[in-house]
Amino acid sequence: MKKNDVILIAVLLTAALAVFGGMALFSAKSTKDAEAVVYLEGEEQGRYPLDQDASVKIEAASGGYNILEIHGGKADITEASCPDKICVNHRPVNHQGESLVCLPNEVVVEIVNGGEPAMDTSTR
Amino acid sequence: MKKIHHAGILLLLITLLLGAAALSRKNSQPSRFETRFFDSFDTVTTITGYAKSQEEFEEQTRLLQEKLTHYHRLFDIYHTYEGMNNLKSINDAAGKSPVSVDEEIIDLLKLGTEMYRKTNGKVNIAYGSVLSVWHEYRERGTADPANAQTPPEELIEEKSLHTDIAKVLIDEKQKTVFLEDAEMSLDVGSIGKGYAVQRLSEYAKELGMEHLLISVGGNVSAVGKKADNTPWRVGIENPDLESSVPYLGTVEIADQTIVTSGDYQRYYVVNGKRYCHIINPETGMPPEYVPSVSVLTKDSGMADALSTALFNMEISEGLELVESLPDTEALWVMKDGGVRCSSGFEFHEEK
Amino acid sequence: MAKKTAYMGMFTALAFVFSYLEFLIPINLGIPGVKLGLANLVTIVVLYLMGVKEACILSFVRIVLNGFTFGNPAAMLYSLAGGFLSLLAMALSRKFKLFSVTGVSVLGGVFHNLGQILAAVLVVENAKLLYYFPVLVLSGTIAGTVIGILAAMVIKRLDKGMEYK
Repeated sequence: MKKNDVILIAVLLTAALAVFGGMALFSAKSTKDAEAVVYLEGEEQGRYPLDQDASVKIEAASGGYNILEIHGGKADITEASCPDKICVNHRPVNHQGESLVCLPNEVVVEIVNGGEPAMDTSTR
Repeated sequence: MKKIHHAGILLLLITLLLGAAALSRKNSQPSRFETRFFDSFDTVTTITGYAKSQEEFEEQTRLLQEKLTHYHRLFDIYHTYEGMNNLKSINDAAGKSPVSVDEEIIDLLKLGTEMYRKTNGKVNIAYGSVLSVWHEYRERGTADPANAQTPPEELIEEKSLHTDIAKVLIDEKQKTVFLEDAEMSLDVGSIGKGYAVQRLSEYAKELGMEHLLISVGGNVSAVGKKADNTPWRVGIENPDLESSVPYLGTVEIADQTIVTSGDYQRYYVVNGKRYCHIINPETGMPPEYVPSVSVLTKDSGMADALSTALFNMEISEGLELVESLPDTEALWVMKDGGVRCSSGFEFHEEK
Repeated sequence: MAKKTAYMGMFTALAFVFSYLEFLIPINLGIPGVKLGLANLVTIVVLYLMGVKEACILSFVRIVLNGFTFGNPAAMLYSLAGGFLSLLAMALSRKFKLFSVTGVSVLGGVFHNLGQILAAVLVVENAKLLYYFPVLVLSGTIAGTVIGILAAMVIKRLDKGMEYK
């Protein structure tokens, strides 16, 4: 083995470990990279990163609306025209696969961030 | 040295070629997709499965969606549909004449009768007369919360006289159903969705689907396992919507179903008190035993009915019932947020 | 010429056997794509003792044989992409004489994994697979070092005995 070999091996190992460690740290922050995807009648309407506070008005085809607030890394529907207000009463969501659903307006807000979801669905 | 040069170019070309080959083979690996629709059982249906593209997945699940809509119409008690006798047809003909119906309605009503027997009447498909009163008051109360009211006791009592399941006459040979009491009506809200999901799972298998997860408004049924051969993980939602903990934990299912009955999804508020959509056939009032109860078993129709029945019982009585049934487990979320499971329920608590 | 052909046949057979050995006794670390790459030992030896062209032919024949015998078309595609990128890296690094056999082998291991993952990204159309790359650089470096040390020993001994020149 030459000295160059040792340097090469050392550089590769350190680089791989550094990137690996960096990625582990990166993915540990679950809200990083996560987005709230808004679907209207099953069609994707927009994506909003959870790390940026935002307030979005979703206009339903029926003339109704939902207000989606993104605050503190969570998505929440704070106001809606629907009578049942199930979507408004729902707690803010931020985990992979969680969703806010407003049936009357056919609005779905779903959290995605590409990682393996902690669960595949939920029962209520 | 020139040789190496040539070889290098050759290798580069081959690598490029392989890249092109790879591009032409794109989408050859099935990946995971989800499709959602809103047209059945007044809730959102989510189907998760595997296909080569979203389009292909939607193509595969289109038949399932159509089937679900069919069941929705069959079990509808508010609307009639062209060319179809459904539950509304039966209700409309109560006290007058038998109605000839689809075999699947007969099947559903038989399951309903069986579950009535198994649960000592804690779930009753012939409870429509009382449920419709609550339905009306809840609709009005939701639309105008300031003037929300509960139905008067006398009205509930009067309506309760017309809920005798023995007066639902099912003629299996003639394929007819007749309600003997003109004042009575069927309401399969506690069982129809589960029955439909069960049939949907079976239909999906017939279509050759091996890995599928169907959720009709939280009524969850798994066909097989996930494509990687691990079970599906289902979260149990926390009934306390104010809490920062969205899920109390998870349960793993494969070729199984889990159905939850709870008081926190559909309800209305009268004088600051919550009245949920499930009504105890014994009292005519929403029960107040637990915020939610989930049933894990093989048949989704049975799970649906049983979760409603358990919601209408003391935990101890429910536990006894669940332990007496094969391949059936249940989980209660108690008022203090604690969880109670039947002996074989493998619950993974969220930490 | 005849001797050369005989050596090539022997080396190809050896590489094939090594692949088979790894197929029989996979060292499963829970991460697909992580393996020692015993067959690469033969490739390096041939690269040093016979030349780039020979190493190239050997790799190709071995991978195709392997693909048809134990693999599926997709796996073969990954192997080909990995195998050739690896050879390219080894041939070039050998030419510039920066490294000894071990260094060349390490580069070969790393580029083999890079080729595989690039092919996989193209096939499944999911760039997220690249997250995987650091793990594969790590495993490629380690496997490459082991194979490189072994290869250096083999080359030293064979160089004297082989009569093809």
